[in-house]
Amino acid sequence: MIRRSFAPLGLLTAVAFAALVPLVVAEASGEAAQGEAYTSPRTPWGDPDLRGPWDRGAAQPVETPVDELWRPEGATIDAPPASLFEPDPDAPPLPAAIETPLVVDPPDGKIPLQPWAAAKREEIMANQDKLAHLDPRVKCLSAGLPRANLPWGFNTYQILQVPGYVVILYEANHEYRYIPLDGRPHVSSEIRLGLGDSRGHWEGETLVVDVTNFTENTWVIARGVAPEGAPASALSTGHGVFHSDALHVVERFTLTDADTIHYEATIDDPKVFTRPWTIALDAFMRAPEDHELLEYACHEGNGRNLRLMTGVDVDAK
Amino acid sequence: MKRWVRLEVRLVALSLVSLAAPASGYEGPRTSDDRPDLSGIWQVLTTAAWDLQHHNAQDGVPAGLSVVEGNDIPYQPWAEARKQENYENRLTADPVRKCYLPGVPRITYMPFPFQILQTPDQVVMTYEFAHAVRIIYTNGSPHPLPNDFWMGDSRGHWEGDTLVVDTTHFIDRTWFDAAGNFHSDALHVVERFTPTSPYHIEYEVTIEDPKVFTRPWKMRMPLYRRVEQGLQLLEYDCVDFILQSLEGQ
Repeated sequence: MIRRSFAPLGLLTAVAFAALVPLVVAEASGEAAQGEAYTSPRTPWGDPDLRGPWDRGAAQPVETPVDELWRPEGATIDAPPASLFEPDPDAPPLPAAIETPLVVDPPDGKIPLQPWAAAKREEIMANQDKLAHLDPRVKCLSAGLPRANLPWGFNTYQILQVPGYVVILYEANHEYRYIPLDGRPHVSSEIRLGLGDSRGHWEGETLVVDVTNFTENTWVIARGVAPEGAPASALSTGHGVFHSDALHVVERFTLTDADTIHYEATIDDPKVFTRPWTIALDAFMRAPEDHELLEYACHEGNGRNLRLMTGVDVDAK
Repeated sequence: MKRWVRLEVRLVALSLVSLAAPASGYEGPRTSDDRPDLSGIWQVLTTAAWDLQHHNAQDGVPAGLSVVEGNDIPYQPWAEARKQENYENRLTADPVRKCYLPGVPRITYMPFPFQILQTPDQVVMTYEFAHAVRIIYTNGSPHPLPNDFWMGDSRGHWEGDTLVVDTTHFIDRTWFDAAGNFHSDALHVVERFTPTSPYHIEYEVTIEDPKVFTRPWKMRMPLYRRVEQGLQLLEYDCVDFILQSLEGQ
């Protein structure tokens, strides 16, 4: 993996995010974002203009843990890995309250897994040393949706628009998606794609994308790294949330100021969840105009990682 | 007198046009910034992905004529030996068999469709094979970085109606085909994309690598537009195939 240093931008983004946190909370209940007065610039053919390079949004917990008693790693999502520091027996307990989760519906911020699915998630997270259960993104499979739009690693994005299409390029693992805007139906349900089959349309300032036809080897969400040893019920990172072939995602992309795309995704999968649920975040922060996506050759350099994590030698295949 | 002047002006104008126009003389649809519009889904019909040169059929390999000018790849003697060794071991040694990114120009003639998306500042090529992506900047920006890439760093410009793409900064781990033709990290690829009809792009590639070849050499083949109604790029995620075969371990 090749990476350039981008410290000044990271700092800027962090500062910008600090200012935006109250806004996100205020919008968490939903329609507020649509009522904003901001009007996007337009492309030459009249669509709201989302074009350009984009940086990832800031870190935020994905969900409210079901098991909130699990400590310490489950308490704050960005706690340093335990292995870096000796635990301090005299340290004050970590704050019980956590940051506002990305899950805005249901209002308790918990992912509405069916009981069997919650149990399967526990099994998946307890077996991250097995190739079959390992985080698909760590295996360099597709990020899936809406996960691909959640802040992760060194990912950046580029959005292109031509008449009739919005195209999103993801730096991480060189993924891309074409979003046709001409109202054509989804491709046959026999066809399966990592990032699904996207069909979009504009509702005023908002790009609405209907996504179906997913493969079954992606996770719906997850950001950052899950704290080691945490039971899945204590995770606030969204790891291990799998889905079935019935996954249906509806995304809403809205430019809320010149430099921010607010993103909402409603996730429906009646085989796995008890009800549809929604995440919301400022997912895309404008990057400098000359920012270029670099090659993120994921699988090519991943053999050693997978060998260390699972004992399986992928390169010998 | 007036007439002569006019004729002269016309002749000059004509000769300017002929300088700018492609050799084919084809003038197709153009973009808002007055470039030939290459957008669409394209695919080659050659057998170059298996072997750039003349070859007979083998199990799973269609026979094919060479795409290399003169059928001659001018290897230095040590490199000729290495190519032969690659050929002997091709069923396990070909990096594409491990689902590694195929490099350039091989990604173009993999037997899969790819889509071109064109804006004034860049030509983006997205490939069904391994969801590979090339972002070819056409905004005059230089090759910027000391890093090396599987797919190289591509910068493009227009020469008349031809998109010329200069690609450098390669690693030395990709092959040109499944027959073991290879290069070093000194590889320099110049591709020329010239539309010759609504359904064809003439694709010409100059390969230069002073560590491996005695001189630059060329390959050439047409790209064909895929015209099926409702066609869209699907997915060939070979990482998944490899992992699935290993998950029992």
